[in-house]
Amino acid sequence: MLGLSLLIPAALCAVVLFLLIYSWPAIGFSGFGFLTHVNWNFGDLDDDPVLTRGLMVPGGASYGILVFIAGTVLSSFIAIIIAVPLSIGAAIFLAEAVSPKIRPALSMLVELVAVVPSIVFGLWGIWVLIPLIGHYLSPTGNGYGLLAASIVLALMITPIIATTLLDALMQVPKENRESAFALGATHFEVVSKAMMPMVRATLIGGIVLALGRALGETMAVAMVSGGGFNILPTSIFSPISSIASFIVNNLDSAEGDPTNMAVRAIAEVALVLFFITLAVNAAAKVLSSGALHVRKRQH
Amino acid sequence: MQITKTFKRSTVAALAIAGLVGFSGTAKAQVDVPLVESGSSLLYPLFNLWVQGFQASNPNADITTTSTGSGAGIAQAIKGLINIGASDAYMSDSLVKANPTMLSIPLAISSQAINYNLPGVSSLNLSGPILAAIYTGKVTKWNDPMIAAANPGVSLPATTIIPVHRLDGSGDTFIFSQYLTASDSGWASTLKYGTTISWPPIAGEIGAKGNAGMLAAAAANPGSIAYIGISYASKVAAAGLGQAALEDADGQYVLPTPANIAAAAASVANTTPPDERISMIFAHGANAYPIVNYEYAIVDSNQQAAAVAGAIRDFLTFAITEGNNASYLKQVNFLPLPAPVETLSAAQIAKIQ
Repeated sequence: MLGLSLLIPAALCAVVLFLLIYSWPAIGFSGFGFLTHVNWNFGDLDDDPVLTRGLMVPGGASYGILVFIAGTVLSSFIAIIIAVPLSIGAAIFLAEAVSPKIRPALSMLVELVAVVPSIVFGLWGIWVLIPLIGHYLSPTGNGYGLLAASIVLALMITPIIATTLLDALMQVPKENRESAFALGATHFEVVSKAMMPMVRATLIGGIVLALGRALGETMAVAMVSGGGFNILPTSIFSPISSIASFIVNNLDSAEGDPTNMAVRAIAEVALVLFFITLAVNAAAKVLSSGALHVRKRQH
Repeated sequence: MQITKTFKRSTVAALAIAGLVGFSGTAKAQVDVPLVESGSSLLYPLFNLWVQGFQASNPNADITTTSTGSGAGIAQAIKGLINIGASDAYMSDSLVKANPTMLSIPLAISSQAINYNLPGVSSLNLSGPILAAIYTGKVTKWNDPMIAAANPGVSLPATTIIPVHRLDGSGDTFIFSQYLTASDSGWASTLKYGTTISWPPIAGEIGAKGNAGMLAAAAANPGSIAYIGISYASKVAAAGLGQAALEDADGQYVLPTPANIAAAAASVANTTPPDERISMIFAHGANAYPIVNYEYAIVDSNQQAAAVAGAIRDFLTFAITEGNNASYLKQVNFLPLPAPVETLSAAQIAKIQ
């Protein structure tokens, strides 16, 4: 059993170790500029490689991923900002305002949204959302970009947060609820003062889960993001690229590099995505344990 | 280690099958050997048609096709993970130097249209330098003097141009950027060509995924311009997009009609070298459409087993002969290889041993 439980962390370590070893020459080639430069260029893959900074790479090759980091982080955080109030509203509505008879049916509908394949959200984005943004909001008339990606992501993650929160709300002990009512609290105060503080840790957990999904989302983002390249977004209508969609869309071109440096650079991109997700999870652990402390002190 | 082991095992299996076939002496040779094709998404639908057609006369043929992308097709064929790599581009000089046994064999002829969304403008002339100026952000309005000069008598609106490009690595980006490299010196010295281009940032531009994404983006945005593979021609027309006439190497504006694509193919047919790695982009010749390319099979001439080599030869021979009939090619708007090129491809196929 111990062996089995160690299998998953071991597999994770193996993946990270592989990425690290495989991308090592690229890390050496790009240095810290990999994270801070906005320009990504595979270079001239058809010509003979040239000696650049001690390594044979295609002429003109340069690898900078700040644009993709910005696209990933911004679209995910805007998605969270849109999704959190929606999810809290939906969860409270389902827990408090809906008769227990139809609650299972409604909550099942919310859960259903969570299992819709991302390509379906992407198609909805292309055919419905993008024309709407283009006609009514965007100053350039072009709907592709950061806002479209964020809204699509928000829709994908809302059910994750809402269902996690709903489960937690349903488990708040009856006594807490009823004693708050007995003290003369309004329904709003019961929810906001007696129930929500008890589920704060779960809410944060749900948000982190959702953020993890948003950071790694590939297909839906690729379809609506506008594929920003070599420029940082300047407004919510700017085209962006996320790290995950950049990887899947450019691995094929990278394979044409006879020196293999492009594929190694893409492995390094994957490594960066892994560490971003890790950092988000670590931050969430700290945040939610903080929330637990608050709850304990209140008791 | 693992790969070598698998190879040995499959070689043994292939030899065993070859032995059985040899003993029975009745069945057509090699047809039982399983083949794997992978690569270009543009060639994928055609490969599926070919496999169906091939199996009609060789019911035991076992050919798996997958759509992964030209880069993956070439890379996996070199590594020996697949038998036939499908690619919109021939192997680069540097890759051939590193892998001298790999062949680039043309199977059919494809091309690309430049489509635009300008309601009211039914015909439009464009050139390499104009497209280069649009895709680098130097020309931003449709009534720019540069475009107007190429279109006397056409009333062009003052609409902002929305350039649409592929955000995924693509053979279409490769041939589009090859046209710009061949026809515009500024583009040739900076951005060059490849399946992914380091696109200069332009306000309002769109990166779209796949030919389907290009079509959706162009159809939804008046003022847009996009390069889309010719196999999408009927869908592009149904969406109401215009098709631009492009300036060829002789200064004529030509549309991607079958006759003009064939003219480009014919002009290169006699100068195609024995290894068939030649660009048909911006070819000289009367009415030669400038964005035309061979679609390639990437195959290792040095096969591990004779039975596998035979099966590859049989299938590719079918593809360039019967498979070049209009009944197959019409469905994707490809054109057949000119006779001299078919001869060269047959000679290369014969090298697979």
